[in-house]
Amino acid sequence: MRRLLSQFKQLLKDKYGLTGTIIFAFMVAIALLAPYLPIPDPNDISAKAFLPPSPKHPLGTDHLGRDLLSRIIWGARTSLAVGIIAAGISALVGIMLGALAGYFGGIVDDVISRIIEIFLMMPTFFLVLFIVAVFGSNMAYIMIVIGLTTWPTTARITRAQVLSVREMTFVEAARAVGAGSRRILFKHVLPNAIHPAIANMVLLIGQAIMIEAALSYLGLGDPNFPSWGRIIYEGQPYILTAWWIPLFPGIALVLTVLSVNFIGDAFLRVMTPRFKTL
Amino acid sequence: MALSTYLAKRFLQSILIVFAILLINFIIINSAPGDPARFMGGEVALSSPQYVQAIRERWGLDKPVYERFFIYIYNLLHGDLGYSYRYLQPVSTLILERLPTTLLLTITSTILAFLIGTFLGLKAVQKVGSKRDVFLTTLMFVFWSIPAFWLGIILIMIFGVQLKWFPISGLVSVREIKTGIWYYLDILYHSVLPITTLTLITIPVYYKLTRDTALQQLTEDYVTTFRAVGLDESRLFRRHVFRNAILPPITIFGLQLGYAIAGAALIETVFGWPGMGRLLLDSIYTRDYPVIMGIYLIISISVVLSNLIVDLVYMLLDPRIRVSR
Repeated sequence: MRRLLSQFKQLLKDKYGLTGTIIFAFMVAIALLAPYLPIPDPNDISAKAFLPPSPKHPLGTDHLGRDLLSRIIWGARTSLAVGIIAAGISALVGIMLGALAGYFGGIVDDVISRIIEIFLMMPTFFLVLFIVAVFGSNMAYIMIVIGLTTWPTTARITRAQVLSVREMTFVEAARAVGAGSRRILFKHVLPNAIHPAIANMVLLIGQAIMIEAALSYLGLGDPNFPSWGRIIYEGQPYILTAWWIPLFPGIALVLTVLSVNFIGDAFLRVMTPRFKTL
Repeated sequence: MALSTYLAKRFLQSILIVFAILLINFIIINSAPGDPARFMGGEVALSSPQYVQAIRERWGLDKPVYERFFIYIYNLLHGDLGYSYRYLQPVSTLILERLPTTLLLTITSTILAFLIGTFLGLKAVQKVGSKRDVFLTTLMFVFWSIPAFWLGIILIMIFGVQLKWFPISGLVSVREIKTGIWYYLDILYHSVLPITTLTLITIPVYYKLTRDTALQQLTEDYVTTFRAVGLDESRLFRRHVFRNAILPPITIFGLQLGYAIAGAALIETVFGWPGMGRLLLDSIYTRDYPVIMGIYLIISISVVLSNLIVDLVYMLLDPRIRVSR
């Protein structure tokens, strides 16, 4: 944990890491504060439809006269929740399987490695589409399915790390003292092998946000939650006149994904000093 | 390990993966809520009990699960992907009809992205930390973070709506149907924006991989030796760093092609492009399950196949693999 904190400090010294952290913190802040901000209700249709950006509606209104800024701010809640929860599920599964494969080796490793290969070969977005098509689009499903289809990269990274850490002297020392497998794995190996997987998890947040946006854009997102993808989907028929409807939610999307990509990549660089020079 | 043993092993592995993908496909369909026969029959099943009965018999739905799985495999091996009630055509015919338009988008953009991405990656790494490097790397970060469908819409708004340079939708001009070579040129003209979109979002993948690999190469001992001896820097890059840095992008080419086909579903929607992705989405909206399953299979198998081919090419390119495996 302490090491993670010091890495985070180093991260802030990195240009990209700092920029990413600032943008991401801003997005999280407006998402959390959405109910308290002086903005109209995102479902309020009292304004005129297709109003271009103006002081009253800084980002304009959509085809039903809803305030776009307010919808984008509320959409941030959905995007960030999906991103963080799906990436969390993915990291949990990936780290567990990767650690088991790397630590125990042998047949356990063989089986898990084959499963990783199979999942790596399956286009994630496609599998998500397929499952959502079969089981219906519900926010919980979407998060779980994204989580359960994106874990293989994390597993592969963790496996490689555990493989190298498990041979280190301090692990051997723990083994010599008579510590059990579980204790060695969770107390000694994992804490020292987990960092690249965490950096990868940050990148997964961006990936999950993109998948959710794409699903919503295709009209397959959960209709009960405001979503950037769906604003774009609803705005597309009117792009000949109302350019602001698809433009602004897209910018919010790009900024959010860009921020996590900056953070994740800087994190990786902080941990692997060989790549210090960006 | 001898070359032939490696090939045999790799081939067996591919077959296993395809089998596993079939199994997963089967499990998903079979664990769906409701009666699988009604499920596969879609909307028609609601009004026609005979149709449901016919499906039940053909897929052997009254038999135990493992037996059903083998019937499914048996049907697939005979090229029977099922029948679409919506189009009243076999699924395989439907897919084959749409495949060329999708491949035009995906193969073209994957090759373009590979060439541009690796080229820019090598250019950037020549002077690490220079203005050019920082600019390119930041730009690539941005394109890496742009959702494909949104980029498509933005390109339509700029080059289609504002500048009117390119058509914004469809495969050919509907107003006047062209013939002969003009017909194909018209398709090409319509494909400019979708191909550009797919290419732009794929370039960063190759850029980053090339640049990272080249950076890693630069920390190798041979580079230090090379520089210490004072040999020509450009020769170092050309003959050693570039050669090694270009290998990983080649390996992911196969995977990337598969992803591109999956990603094309979005692009085809944005641009009203009548390809396989569009067919897939239409089938999802109308619950035409045989088509969804068929496309899913075709894509999975093509990913596995292209990976296999790329592996073989890679083996020919990199002598170390030939020897060490």
